[in-house]
Amino acid sequence: MDSHDFHKLLLSRGTFFCYSGLLSEEVLSAISGIVREQVSDIEHDSDLTTRVFGVFIEQAQNIIRYSEERLAEGGIGTVAIGHSKEGFVVEAINPMNADKMLSLKGNLEELQKMESKDLRKAYKQRLRDGPPEGSKGAGLGFIEIARKSSKFEFDFVESPELLFVLKAWIVP
Amino acid sequence: MHLEATNRTPEVSISDSVLEMKGECYPEDITVFAEPILESLAEKLEACDSYSVSLELRYFNSSSAKFFFDFFEVLEETAAKGKSISIEWRYRSSDNSMKEAGEDFEEDMEDADYQLVEI
Repeated sequence: MDSHDFHKLLLSRGTFFCYSGLLSEEVLSAISGIVREQVSDIEHDSDLTTRVFGVFIEQAQNIIRYSEERLAEGGIGTVAIGHSKEGFVVEAINPMNADKMLSLKGNLEELQKMESKDLRKAYKQRLRDGPPEGSKGAGLGFIEIARKSSKFEFDFVESPELLFVLKAWIVP
Repeated sequence: MHLEATNRTPEVSISDSVLEMKGECYPEDITVFAEPILESLAEKLEACDSYSVSLELRYFNSSSAKFFFDFFEVLEETAAKGKSISIEWRYRSSDNSMKEAGEDFEEDMEDADYQLVEI
């Protein structure tokens, strides 16, 4: 793909922000203010922009946690935000270890089935119980993404290393 | 104790009778942010008869939620011991996320006086 094709591809799919590479908390500090501004320029409903920003932060921090685990293997990730007339979409793609795939899949499938009031309860319960074993975060990140987004989809792609793809839609 | 706001942490001020926090909370390292605040709060609560807390947050991430959960637990435990604790959770009228968060924290408050304030 030529450089200009890449540029046109991003424009054609409404992607107005995209970061790809090694993601750290330092990088996130550097880009989060810009993301906040860009989202607020497009949309003035502050409840909606905070949801978009919240999903972006959780997705970025997921990549950071996976990258930390895989630093020796050069774990990198991509996080992108797009906008169309329907609303916003936040996408994250990162390499992951295959041994975590089944439990992650089960966890996310469960969250996809839950209604907002159940997600709210699950979030509170997770806060009380503390992080699940083997979780680097509080284990709340995916529940937060499910709560703040209108819907989300995920996929695992072998290319050839295993990539985890998470896509969340935030609509008014 | 006074902490200026940064782009990832709220402004925090802690005096002998009042703690105020205002802004956004998604620090690089929640432990580094939370520990001095929880320590200072514990000292003030130990020394006081009554204490007021006012929080006005626009956003916090899931890693910070655990900090707020612990923070409210300390306040409720102090109230349960007979001290007078009042808490104001201030949220903007259009901000449904912060309203819900305030309601969720309210559920565990029995002895502390907890008010949701729409601004």
